[in-house]
Amino acid sequence: MGRNKEREIWLAIGGIFLLIYPFIFTLPFPQHIMIMIFLYASMGLAWNMIGGYAGQIALGNAVFFGIGAYTSSLMLMKLGVSPWVGMLVGGIISVIISFGIGYPCFKLAGHYFAIATIAIGEIAQHWFLNWDWAGSAVGLKLPILPESFIYFEFHKSKLPYYYIAFGIFLLTISCTYWMDRSKLGCYFRAIKGDQEAARSLGIDVARYKFYALAMSAFFTSICGSFYAQYVLFIDPDSVFPLMLSIIVCLIATLGGVGTVWGPVIGAFFLIPVSEFTRIYFGGGGKGTDLIIYGFLIVLISIYQPFGVIGLSKLFKKRETA
Amino acid sequence: MALLEVQELSKNFGGLAANYQINLQVYEGEIVGLIGPNGAGKTTLFNCIAGFYPPSQGIVRFKGKDITGLPPNKICRFGIARTFQLVRVFKDMTVLDNVRAGAFFRSNRGIQAKNKALGVLDFCGLSSKKNMLAGGLTIADKKRLQFANALATEPSFLLLDEAMAGLNQTEVAEAIDLVKRVQQAGITILLVEHVMEVVMPISNRVVVLNYGKKIAEDVPEKVINNEEVIKAYLGDKYHASHRAH
Repeated sequence: MGRNKEREIWLAIGGIFLLIYPFIFTLPFPQHIMIMIFLYASMGLAWNMIGGYAGQIALGNAVFFGIGAYTSSLMLMKLGVSPWVGMLVGGIISVIISFGIGYPCFKLAGHYFAIATIAIGEIAQHWFLNWDWAGSAVGLKLPILPESFIYFEFHKSKLPYYYIAFGIFLLTISCTYWMDRSKLGCYFRAIKGDQEAARSLGIDVARYKFYALAMSAFFTSICGSFYAQYVLFIDPDSVFPLMLSIIVCLIATLGGVGTVWGPVIGAFFLIPVSEFTRIYFGGGGKGTDLIIYGFLIVLISIYQPFGVIGLSKLFKKRETA
Repeated sequence: MALLEVQELSKNFGGLAANYQINLQVYEGEIVGLIGPNGAGKTTLFNCIAGFYPPSQGIVRFKGKDITGLPPNKICRFGIARTFQLVRVFKDMTVLDNVRAGAFFRSNRGIQAKNKALGVLDFCGLSSKKNMLAGGLTIADKKRLQFANALATEPSFLLLDEAMAGLNQTEVAEAIDLVKRVQQAGITILLVEHVMEVVMPISNRVVVLNYGKKIAEDVPEKVINNEEVIKAYLGDKYHASHRAH
């Protein structure tokens, strides 16, 4: 009980800090970093649902990110619909597409599943590179509209984006938290542990894998729509890259796969690294962050396969021992 | 009416007939032992009943309903649960979470499933280890846990695949006690076992397989004296010397 209370206090302190953060750090750059952390933490959490909990190493989550970004942008540009509606529609389309992806891919196991999802990511990117109606390789430049909540555009300050990103992050982590304790989470972990044993306990393995991928797709897609409205320019290279699929996986792996807070910790580590190297090295240092990521992953997989979260558990054990 | 009825079941792997026209009935409340030398087709028959393999031919009926070839998760719904010869527990999950995975089959609510799981753990004598990771248990406890997982799905029929192989004598005695208590709770059991000493005292009936065929079916005392069975276990030559004594 004592530990739970302590935990709640820390959560409250963390929450309040994040709420007032943009008033402490009023410059755009620190706010931008935190927005990126929220965005990537949410995507890491979304990946964690299929990859961490259900143990299906999906490396095609960029597909859902891209679909989210393109759906809300196209609906805004072609139909004049609010990006908020586009965000929801994008999420729904992503869920439908995830069923289409899952159907053939879930027949494959292990590496083959990962490879198949990479292939699907590449197909999606090339599809959009050649789709004229959706802007093809040139991409989409979103119209600059007067600042309003309905049209999801804010030009004077990053503050509204900050709180929207924070909201998306809260939504994703609450869902993960709920899932972690519910039947879904228990079944996902059972499937990850041993599919045959899971089946013998009456778990419809195929169906629960679909659920995991659908949830992952929905939240990743929401992040995509947010990204489009935040940057106001998207093209297939920025929203469908394989690297994105891999980074969300790395974030979850670094922090601790299959845990509620793992991807959050991962994002707090990796995103600042990526943003600061981008600033210090500029275009010439492109990929420096990836070198650092790679190094960290090697360290993690050798010394602490359960991620940073596993490290903290290790310390706790020592304390109690 | 038999609880489980297997009719003319055959299972071929390519040219190999692992099971050939097997007939088997299990009645409510019984413990039936399924024995036979290595490669006799015991586990194959098991997998056919539990839905892990579709039989090549024949019918499996449970409570009068045809369940032939249904996938394991559907078969579980009828009230059939199984354990595995090589233990399959979720080793990265805690003991409690393992059993919760089974308990969620009959309830969607977390609290209900947790209470159910705690009850089953208590029944199986694993309460004190509920917060341990399943991977860290001893082999005897892992077998016990997989037993608990199966029980948590609230089966009326339990298939135990070599539940006692690899256990020492004390552990075997404990496992036998557990099996008996499960029977007293009204669950029918089909038990695959290598170790004759285990099967004989607890089984109401024993079925013997050899080379995929059923060669004997009787009460334990009669089965051990059955010529076919001795031949199957000891071979023709030793069978002759056995008779000479």
